[in-house]
Amino acid sequence: MSANLKPNTKKSFKLMIVDDSNIMRRRIERSQQFEELQLVGTAGNGLEALELFKKTDPDVVTMDLTMPQMDGIECIGRLVTLKPAVRILVISALADKATAVEAMEKGANGFLNKPFTDRQLNEAIAELLC
Amino acid sequence: MMVAATERRRQVLMAGLGTALILVMGTVLFFGFRLATQMRTSISALQTASTLQTYPETIAQQLNSLRDRLEVRAYSGQALSELQTSVKHVDTNLRQLEATGDADGPQLNRARLLWRQYQPVLDPVVSFTGQPYVDSDTAGSSLSSEGRRHYAEVKRAQLFANENARPLQTHLAALATALQHTSSDAAARLRTLLLAGVFAALVLAVAAGYFQLTRARHERAAREAQDQTRYILKSVREGFFLLDADHRIGSVWSEALSHMFSRNDFAGLSFEDLLKDLVPTATLTTAAKYVKLLWGQRAHENLMKSINPLGQLEITRDNGHGSKETRYLQFDFHRVMAAEGIKHVLCSVSDITASVLLARELQDSQDNANAQLDMMLGMMHVDPLQLTSFLDTTETSIKLVNTILREPARNDAEFRKKLAGLFRELHSIKGEASALNLSSVASRVHVMEDMVSECKKRPELSGNDFLPLVLKLDELLAHLRSVREMAARLSVLKDGAPTPPAAAGAAGGPARAAGALDELSPTLQSMAARLAQDHHKQFRLSVAGLADVPAPYATTIKDCLIQMLRNAAVHGIEAPDVRRNLAKQDAGAVNVEFRKTPGGYELVFEDDGAGITPQNLKAAAVRKRLVTEEAAQRMDTRAAMALIFAPGFSTQEGVSMDAGRGVGMDVVARSVANLGGKIGVSTHPGKFTRFRVVLPGVDADSAAVA
Amino acid sequence: MLYEQELKTFVDATTNFFSVAAQEPASIGSPYLMEGAPSVHEYTGIISISGKREGVVYFTAPKAMLTVMLMKMQENDFSHETMRDLVGEVANTISGNARRDFSREFVISVPSVLSGEKPDVPQHAGRRSFIIPINWRSHSAKLVVSLS
Repeated sequence: MSANLKPNTKKSFKLMIVDDSNIMRRRIERSQQFEELQLVGTAGNGLEALELFKKTDPDVVTMDLTMPQMDGIECIGRLVTLKPAVRILVISALADKATAVEAMEKGANGFLNKPFTDRQLNEAIAELLC
Repeated sequence: MMVAATERRRQVLMAGLGTALILVMGTVLFFGFRLATQMRTSISALQTASTLQTYPETIAQQLNSLRDRLEVRAYSGQALSELQTSVKHVDTNLRQLEATGDADGPQLNRARLLWRQYQPVLDPVVSFTGQPYVDSDTAGSSLSSEGRRHYAEVKRAQLFANENARPLQTHLAALATALQHTSSDAAARLRTLLLAGVFAALVLAVAAGYFQLTRARHERAAREAQDQTRYILKSVREGFFLLDADHRIGSVWSEALSHMFSRNDFAGLSFEDLLKDLVPTATLTTAAKYVKLLWGQRAHENLMKSINPLGQLEITRDNGHGSKETRYLQFDFHRVMAAEGIKHVLCSVSDITASVLLARELQDSQDNANAQLDMMLGMMHVDPLQLTSFLDTTETSIKLVNTILREPARNDAEFRKKLAGLFRELHSIKGEASALNLSSVASRVHVMEDMVSECKKRPELSGNDFLPLVLKLDELLAHLRSVREMAARLSVLKDGAPTPPAAAGAAGGPARAAGALDELSPTLQSMAARLAQDHHKQFRLSVAGLADVPAPYATTIKDCLIQMLRNAAVHGIEAPDVRRNLAKQDAGAVNVEFRKTPGGYELVFEDDGAGITPQNLKAAAVRKRLVTEEAAQRMDTRAAMALIFAPGFSTQEGVSMDAGRGVGMDVVARSVANLGGKIGVSTHPGKFTRFRVVLPGVDADSAAVA
Repeated sequence: MLYEQELKTFVDATTNFFSVAAQEPASIGSPYLMEGAPSVHEYTGIISISGKREGVVYFTAPKAMLTVMLMKMQENDFSHETMRDLVGEVANTISGNARRDFSREFVISVPSVLSGEKPDVPQHAGRRSFIIPINWRSHSAKLVVSLS
């Protein structure tokens, strides 16, 4: 399906995964089927994410919201300031609309609710990349 | 958009038609003027040429006349002067014709050439100013030398003029004819031009008329469409409006919006101002952010829809009567796309207050039912003790319900197995509640009973089907607790005494302090007294050892005692007159003893009543259709006695408040079994009935059962 | 008194996690009430709620169940930390859904995770809890809703 959504783009994007749960990080890494995404790092909280971002300069970020030491919302704001072109997919269990709006307003480009299926994840990423 | 394009096309067409008309008129006027001017000059040239035609002859005659006068020595001045005028006239007119382009043709040239030959001949004649005669008395008048010369010149001119008068006249006539042609040509051209102009103007007028007509038709259609739009906007129940890039409302909105927001000044109003004062600041901020996001190209429509925070917006506004009113509005947003991006955001608002309130009401009805409790209790006059004993029994039943629920189940069969037991317990509670007129309890249990019946009908049962039941069960427990508290208050009112023991343990939980059953004795005594009175019996109750009941067993022991006491009062102890005939004391004896044994605990409950006969039990079981007659006959004493603990068994017809529902011993037996204990009965007809409950040593682990 | 919708939100969030994340739906066992402290399994993800209702909601599961779940999720790390992560995610989902449905009335905490034999589950004396067994494959976990 991802192949259909992203034809003939051999351009590569650097991916960073931010989530305080190990399983979620691995899950996202494992489930995304985009050849053009190259994982450059994972972070467990906002501060870590910020450091890693400066070092690796990713193009695409998946972002959890509830995390210790700088939550996702604040982190999104910082990342967008550092690199306005960065594309951020929020992956959170927070299902209320105000949170989603807040995240989008801070500069996120997509919103995916936990738990998610592989299909939902890939569709969300595809939307993010196009 | 389509309407606008058509309109523009029509405007262009009309402008084209107008321009064409102006061009046509201009052309006609311009050329018409030119042609008219040309005609006028041609005509005046024609007049000149016509007049000139007569002059060659005139000049010849005048020269003739001049010569005649000279020959007779008559006065020639007059004739000369006339000749001079004529010559001058021809000169002038020829020059004039020369200047008129129309006449300047070969005819004029020929005339002019000929006239130029005239001139050397005529010039000496007309320029003569001397005296032609010399007067002498002798010879009379004779020609002077000047006169002689003049005469010779006149003779020459006369000859020339006579000779050429005709040709010159012919030339001038030809010129006149030519001019005649020219002017009639111009007239014809002017006529054609006018005709063409009129025709073109007619065509344009027809075209304009046609377009005007279609335009009127279009306008009518547009007006109709406008009317329809207005009608839709007026009657549609949703509020519709467009937001522009500055988040301001456009000039068109549906009338429903006015009702929803109690205002009319929407045009140009910003979305934020629309909601300001109606919603809390946090909501307003979120709403503003969301609307801003709608204008970004970043998020897809579906994503935007899924994060719409205004799906159920609570607004508070003045209702116009000085008080606040809460409404629920649902906002939906659609981006209106144009080639260059998002052009507008269409917003639809619906008032979903009714449905929200309905949902709320459904939830609140539970709470309301509770609120009515006080009133209901105040109205009824239930004996607090009776109420307490009811509450105790009911609590036991509820525990049983919960025990049934608690048995793990994974498939339909396992879930289905629970239904019969659940129904039985619930039905028994309902019956007792109804008997006591405790409608608030009865109606609650009734609802649960219905749920169980509903479950029976379902093809495939799962835990989900039991969730509402558990909620209701929880609610029933909470309700019973309120009833108990109320009962405590009522008894205080009635007795002016401190809260009775059962009410003090209102929480009904098992985690009660050891020795709590200390306080049960008085309750049992009051209950015994009430039962005796109700059933016209007399008996004494003696109780011993209840202080030793360990906490985990308290409830079960209490339930056992209540149930057994009821049975004894209803079934066991005979009526006083019966007892008298049997040589028994009028008052029966009921003895209760709880004691610790080496292996655990033991409760003995004994009455000196009628005892139980296997025959009675069998007969009752057959009557109740619990067993067939044959099966009953085949039963030995042991099996018959076991009927006491069978579900649905009752030895007394009809339903009374205290017994007869036939679940009593069943309930007790299961409750004992749940604790790992046993219950047994021994009896001697006419002498006694003795129940023995044996319980194991206390196992702390069982404390958690509700 | 708990409303049906409230209980449903918690239950649905939990079962949804199984169908979506572990790709196999869980079924609800027979629900019941309990007074006092219900027993917990090895791993417990817990959220506390205040506001219109006070109390806790937690998901408690045995290690064996979590192990199978992780396998279904193609996870090959079965460490203590991963188990904690997993019950944490379940609690996270419950918390997220509760915020979606009741943020107007409740304040819902960020989930925390307890593990071990006798973890210190916050209790409220005398409160009745709803116990909803969550059956998944041959295993059984519990969703405990203890709110006033």
